[in-house]
Amino acid sequence: MMLLQPGFLASVPVQNALLIGAGAALLSGAAGVFTVLRSQSFAGHALADVSSAGGAMAYLLGISPLLGFFSLSVLGALALEVIGTRRAAERDLAAGIVLGAGMGGTALLLYLDVTVKGSAGAAVSVMFGSLFAAPPGLGVAVALGALAGLLGLGLIYRPLLLASLDSELAKADGVNTRLLGTAYLLLLALAVTLSAMAVGAILSTALLIGPAAAALRLAHSPAAAMGLAALLGLFCAWGGVWLAYQSYGWTPGHVWPVSFFITALVLAVYAVASLVRRG
Amino acid sequence: MRWGMLASAAALVLGAGAAQAQPVLHAVGIENEYADVMSQIGGPYVRVSAIVTDPNTDPHEFEISPQVAGELASADVVVENGLGYDGWADKLLSGTHATVISAQRVRNLPNSTPNPHLWYDPATMPAVAKAVADAFATKDPAHAAYYQGQVTVFDASLKPWLDELAQVKAHYAGTPVAVSEPVADYLLQAAGMKILTPFTLEEAAMNGTDPAPQDVSTQQDLLVSRKVAVYVFNQQVQDTLSDSFRALAQQSNLRVLGVYETMPKRAKSYQNWMLGETKTLAEDLAAGGQ
Repeated sequence: MMLLQPGFLASVPVQNALLIGAGAALLSGAAGVFTVLRSQSFAGHALADVSSAGGAMAYLLGISPLLGFFSLSVLGALALEVIGTRRAAERDLAAGIVLGAGMGGTALLLYLDVTVKGSAGAAVSVMFGSLFAAPPGLGVAVALGALAGLLGLGLIYRPLLLASLDSELAKADGVNTRLLGTAYLLLLALAVTLSAMAVGAILSTALLIGPAAAALRLAHSPAAAMGLAALLGLFCAWGGVWLAYQSYGWTPGHVWPVSFFITALVLAVYAVASLVRRG
Repeated sequence: MRWGMLASAAALVLGAGAAQAQPVLHAVGIENEYADVMSQIGGPYVRVSAIVTDPNTDPHEFEISPQVAGELASADVVVENGLGYDGWADKLLSGTHATVISAQRVRNLPNSTPNPHLWYDPATMPAVAKAVADAFATKDPAHAAYYQGQVTVFDASLKPWLDELAQVKAHYAGTPVAVSEPVADYLLQAAGMKILTPFTLEEAAMNGTDPAPQDVSTQQDLLVSRKVAVYVFNQQVQDTLSDSFRALAQQSNLRVLGVYETMPKRAKSYQNWMLGETKTLAEDLAAGGQ
């Protein structure tokens, strides 16, 4: 078997998928390190679930899925800020309630997609992703979004690291932790949006926390962990696209879902990292 | 003056005649194209309703409501498509007194038939019309002769469409075309068109599953390199991939033909609808050849 089938890189849907996967993995990997450090995995998952309502809405209105996912994801982030962060214990509770409302909205919007617009595959596409069916311009848009997100993360990196490791010390140092937390949630909203483009809303947390958790086990500094998480994420995303392309011959004429391969690789990377750390 | 009076007297008599013909049977076509043929066979003696009528939505994704269940419970004769296309109707029909005619069974097609859009096949409706007349005659023997006569009328009325198909085939047999999904494939094949789109891609579009990138590339190449004369898409389905293929076809100056999955409201009859789409295909082929 040849490693790269002829036509793999020349294929327009593959190029698009590689670009979307790269953008999603790089930003989610880097931002995910803070998600793990700040124990906000559940908030990240809640944002992803809420963003699915935006994905379903995009079908209904005929707008770009990126815009749909992101607008609802930002709305979810703001809702989390308003309800929950005054008491840390209530954070998961708020996230759970926001998640539920978001998914309820998704149920309604998907129903409307199917009955009003005849978008048969909307539910699977929004929830589990359909990377090879992404509209042609989406790859460039996701890459630009990732670039903007990484730039923003670089800008708030120092105070955010301080606040994430020791919030009291950061406050004493004159850092506005509340504002910083909001800025970070918005970046998180962008990261889960891009990941939802690649693997769907429900699975986008996998790209967010999997590579980051693996990298934090292996790297010795947060900055190194961010770089490593981005690379591991890239490996999972591109590896998943490659495996899905290969699967064309496994069940004749059909490819297995890319999302399956990407999330399986995320699990494998995390398992290997855990073993290396123990060994 | 006298002629006017005569005319209004005649209208009165005719009106009275029509009023006497109260519908005796209630029939339901799960899809409105079947309902249309049923009402052509039943004439004034059968009240026909259709369940799936909205040309803006995809019948594959139909949601069952209590109203639909009630409609089916009171039906004497029901026509469904079969092949899993309207499998939800079977559940509602079990236990009712309705005679159920399935286009799939009438055509003797195995369950593994990949393309369920049987009404696009010129062989389907004559067989359905005959089965419908038989079912009507059994439930309402008083008008059996009328129903059987209507089958002859219906079969004759298909002639302009079949002639048009034969003409397209005579002129353009073997012309390569690309499609978004299998909806009109039977008609295209009857017209002698060669569908170059991989069927697995059509299937993915119909079922809403992930398309294979290999197939997407093949389709894009067909459109960009102008290896086909016409791109045929389903007007009732909207998804990003089908939209992007249509945009590619338009950029390549290919003729783009939108077809309907269920009978559109402006179509006068099933025959009329099929004839219209075949004529548009002929126009597209004529324009594409230049």
